[in-house]
Amino acid sequence: MGRKSLLVSPELCIGCRGCQTACKEWNQLPGSKTENRGSFENPPELTATTFNRVRYVEVASSSGDPRWLFVSQRCMHCGDAACMNICPSTGAINRTADGAITVDKTKCIECKLCASACPFGTPKFDAQNKLSKCGMCADRTASGLPPACAKTCPTGALRYGEREELIALAKKAGYAKIYGENDLGGLGTLYAFRDEPKLYGMDEKPAMPESLIFWQNVLKPLSYLGLGGALALSLVHLVAVGPKKDEPKNDEPKKDEEVNKNG
Amino acid sequence: MADQKNARVIRKANAFEILNHWVMAISFFTLSATGFAYLFHIAGVVSFFGGPMGMKTVHNYAGLVFAASLILTIFSYLIEALSFSGDDMKWLMKGGGYLSRNAAVPPQGKLNAGQKLVYLMVLAAGAAIAVSGLYLWLAPEVKSRTLSMHFLHNAAFDVYLMIVPFHIYLASIASPGSLRIMINGTVPLEWARKRHAKWAARMT
Ligand code: HEM
Ligand code: SF4
Ligand code: SF4
Repeated sequence: MGRKSLLVSPELCIGCRGCQTACKEWNQLPGSKTENRGSFENPPELTATTFNRVRYVEVASSSGDPRWLFVSQRCMHCGDAACMNICPSTGAINRTADGAITVDKTKCIECKLCASACPFGTPKFDAQNKLSKCGMCADRTASGLPPACAKTCPTGALRYGEREELIALAKKAGYAKIYGENDLGGLGTLYAFRDEPKLYGMDEKPAMPESLIFWQNVLKPLSYLGLGGALALSLVHLVAVGPKKDEPKNDEPKKDEEVNKNG
Repeated sequence: MADQKNARVIRKANAFEILNHWVMAISFFTLSATGFAYLFHIAGVVSFFGGPMGMKTVHNYAGLVFAASLILTIFSYLIEALSFSGDDMKWLMKGGGYLSRNAAVPPQGKLNAGQKLVYLMVLAAGAAIAVSGLYLWLAPEVKSRTLSMHFLHNAAFDVYLMIVPFHIYLASIASPGSLRIMINGTVPLEWARKRHAKWAARMT
């Protein structure tokens, strides 16, 4: 069984937000009070109780009619997941056999390092300060069901399946760019874009933070290499040179007598 | 009664310094063990410290103890460590006499040049690890800053891991007679005259 993915096609999306509702229903997330900010888009970003949402992008076009882009957004389920790399807590962030990135809240230690590392701003924290994000409905996919959002989507704008098949499908449909095909080890949330990712509100080239890469490749191994090296050099010194040999070997004195003039 | 003569010793560390040294050593080992468990997801260590949240509590509060202990060392060692002399420079050039069995080195003060450098590195890396640790604990919300604090925390950790084994080795096996300074605080006068001649001369 290969890696599974979600393919998002903004061109097919009608902005009904059925996915948003289905997600809340399946994951038993409470609704939240929204606010009129002059757009149908709500909430303005993912929250601890909104694992996915639809971004509404209005683009002026030459014909005069504005073009609407509805971009369904959630955790990208990165192939090389920054959140998982930085997380210090054993078993708090996990990868399923399908490639989904899931959270075990009982193991999360509320340090929020994942939020500082994620290139997409996905991690949000619940009232207990535990990481709370999309887990690609791992409890559904484990028994062969698609994620709730994809199941509910009436237009095929959200499609779940074998990653390779979805990529081939989108390419055959003539999409210029499959966003996430190769970035960050390949994203588990793919986008079929007609235009530049920027137009859809996405980073052109999402990447792992530089300092995180250095930490991962240098600082982390240096901890045991440095410790081991220092121990090894000490041992080499002990064998090659040995301890200082100037102990006064006078006859065992009976009692110490301090002779300091002052402190 | 001839062999009843007392050993002439001189005090190098007081009770407070000895106690603080062991507080620092124990908190450091606790922090390192839990730190390694964070870095490499060592499940056994996590359960030893009472699970994920238990280990976080241990790490963070041991961090507070470590930071307090580090601050207290300033009163004992900083002035001495900053008083770097020409003899210290020459001592370093000769590798402190550790590179061969019978090297002669220039006379040293209460701390030798190597000890001064180690202390300054311990202080600098310790300050970095404590400040970054406190930041990660208390204010992780600003994302870009959190990432650099996480980086600093780990870089300073690496510095410690490369210094501490040398410190332990040089202060015990490599230099017989040193360890008792952190146990009962005194050294034989003879020993002091060999290792810390300038200080021994000042003290007697
Ligand atoms: C004031 C002192 C310190 C505080 C408040 C502190 C706090 C923290 C925090 C908040 C974390 C992230 C995980 C967590 O929430 O527990 C962490 C991780 C870590 N700490 Fe500390 N720490 C301190 C001192 C130290 C010292 C002295 C060492 C080494 C001897 C150390 C080694 C580590 C390591 C290796 C990690 C795992 C790497 C990481 O994920 O950042 N810490 N510390
Ligand atoms: S998008 Fe962010 S939270 Fe999701 S897997 Fe990637 S790094 Fe982790
Ligand atoms: S907040 Fe939780 S999930 Fe995020 S890095 Fe920390 S322990 Fe891991």
